[in-house]
Amino acid sequence: MIRFVLRRALAAIPIGVIVTLGVFALVFAMPGDPLRELAGDKPIPAAVMAAKRAQFHLDDPFIVQYLLSMKDILTGHFGTTFAGADIADQLRLRIPVTLKLTLLANAFQWTLGLFFGIYAGFKRNGWIDKSLLLATLVLLAVPGLVAYFAAQYLFGVELKWFPVSGVLEGFPRSYLLPALVIGVLGFAGLARLMRTSIVETVNADFVKTARAKGLGEQRVLWRHILPNALLPVVTFIGIDLAGMFGGAIITESIFNLPGLGQFMFQAIKFKEGGVVVLLSTLAFISFIVINLLVDLLYGVLDPRVRNV
Amino acid sequence: MSIDEVLLKVDDLTVEFDTPRGRVRAVDGVSWQVRAGETLAILGESGSGKSVSTQALTGILEMPPGRIVSGTAEYRGADLIGMTVKERRRIVGDRITMVFQDSLSALNPVQSVGTQIAECYRVHRGMSKKDAFKRATEMLDQVRIPAAAKRVRDYPHEFSGGMRQRVMLAMALALDPDVLIADEPTTALDVTVQAQILELIAELQAEREMGVVLITHDLGVVSDVADNVVVMYAGHVVERASTAEALERPVHPYTEGLLGSMPSADLKGQELPTIPGTPPSLRSIPSGCAFRTRCPIAIDDCATDVPPLLTVAPGRDAACIRRTTIPAKEAV
Repeated sequence: MIRFVLRRALAAIPIGVIVTLGVFALVFAMPGDPLRELAGDKPIPAAVMAAKRAQFHLDDPFIVQYLLSMKDILTGHFGTTFAGADIADQLRLRIPVTLKLTLLANAFQWTLGLFFGIYAGFKRNGWIDKSLLLATLVLLAVPGLVAYFAAQYLFGVELKWFPVSGVLEGFPRSYLLPALVIGVLGFAGLARLMRTSIVETVNADFVKTARAKGLGEQRVLWRHILPNALLPVVTFIGIDLAGMFGGAIITESIFNLPGLGQFMFQAIKFKEGGVVVLLSTLAFISFIVINLLVDLLYGVLDPRVRNV
Repeated sequence: MSIDEVLLKVDDLTVEFDTPRGRVRAVDGVSWQVRAGETLAILGESGSGKSVSTQALTGILEMPPGRIVSGTAEYRGADLIGMTVKERRRIVGDRITMVFQDSLSALNPVQSVGTQIAECYRVHRGMSKKDAFKRATEMLDQVRIPAAAKRVRDYPHEFSGGMRQRVMLAMALALDPDVLIADEPTTALDVTVQAQILELIAELQAEREMGVVLITHDLGVVSDVADNVVVMYAGHVVERASTAEALERPVHPYTEGLLGSMPSADLKGQELPTIPGTPPSLRSIPSGCAFRTRCPIAIDDCATDVPPLLTVAPGRDAACIRRTTIPAKEAV
């Protein structure tokens, strides 16, 4: 088990180098001068400009800039943004915001997804099952951006049930609307997968064996069908959870939540390669860790893949 | 239970399936019975309805699309088909248990074998987890799994095919059933292991005076262990006899054909005889006798009516108008 974790951690290192290098290169390749954009129309004295450029190593070759950024990240000296904010402080403030949003959104998505998926799987061709199919098609057809703005307008501006944007009302009120929209958009796919997986398991031979043992229908469902049907769903949940950060970039910007996603968006706008790479590294590490946890959980659920 | 008591009596069982392309009759008017201590073999090719009939009477057939059209299946006088699901669950899984062909897929892959055997004691006897697990270990020992105390915590995929089939047997025999329905229990195993499993079943059967219904397509298995045999073809019983009689003097041409196509030392160097043609699709069973299109002695009259199962001698029934017309008498 420890060997398994170590092996996975080692395998992640080269991937991490490729990811960060690629991201840094993309930011480097963006057109425009970051400092001049930051200053807007105001003229900047040449001396100040030169000092700033030196501080952020902007005149060094690409690979030197990349290595300096990585050195800062690995040693924990995050420094400041171009605008002068302390990056470590920023992370301390912003990480909880993103965590609250993604965890709440996932809570909605999993609760809805598993509940409707299991129900539809157990009661196939019932009205819940049929409505679920319809709901999936509709939800999958609605682009996220449309849903976010529509929800903001309807529930925030018109009905005033939730704050339109910002975090002034704190947790959970300020987070409810974006988390609900993410959860509802995502639950249908999860529910469909859960349902399909149950349907595939229902006809398995061991279910026949369980029935031949004279077990009650509930016991067959919860003890024999569900534990087997959950296996593919766990994989899906892992991938989905890890991908949440990507979604946060859009959601946090629209709902004006000061989280990592919004930070990332600003950093890309200002061509702050160091910050973008730092945030990408964070996302990458969380992706690796979550997938590792899912694989470990998978081993607990399915004895066949243990010690592999 | 006394020897010779009829434990399970199936009478005129007919099962149909509703398919998108119409109704299909998989089992048509099948009757057989099994007594305490007896091994009854149900012999037939795949698709002959041998598994469907037992799955229908134990209530594990998916319904729909399956449907029991008529018939009774009496366990000691109580009709399994007519009773409620709850009543049936007290018998099926307790007094009547089943073993299936492919033990790898027939066991739950994510539960240890001990848990799966213990479940029988937990559900039907209300035992505590600990006691049930202890009994499960004893059962594994009884089916001769080495180091049972250790292996009881292993998962199905960690056993070899033969050992896994022993686990299936341990699970089926955990509650000392009166009737064991073994659905092709040895088909997935190689020949030596096959013999071991059949021997084990016979041994455990003798200890318990249990009735065994052995579903198989293997005439060799039938001749090894069965007392009586029911031969099925396209959903019909075509012959019913004691094994010795059926093997020596088959009445129905289908049984004859099966016997003729058994490899034996006498046939060394010769081509193995086969029954020409293939079993009919259940969608298009020939009119009259279903076997007539492959039958060497078929005549025009065979196409008119489904031949009734008639008694040709005491304990010998066959459904063939060419062979039963003369001394015929309606079979019971």
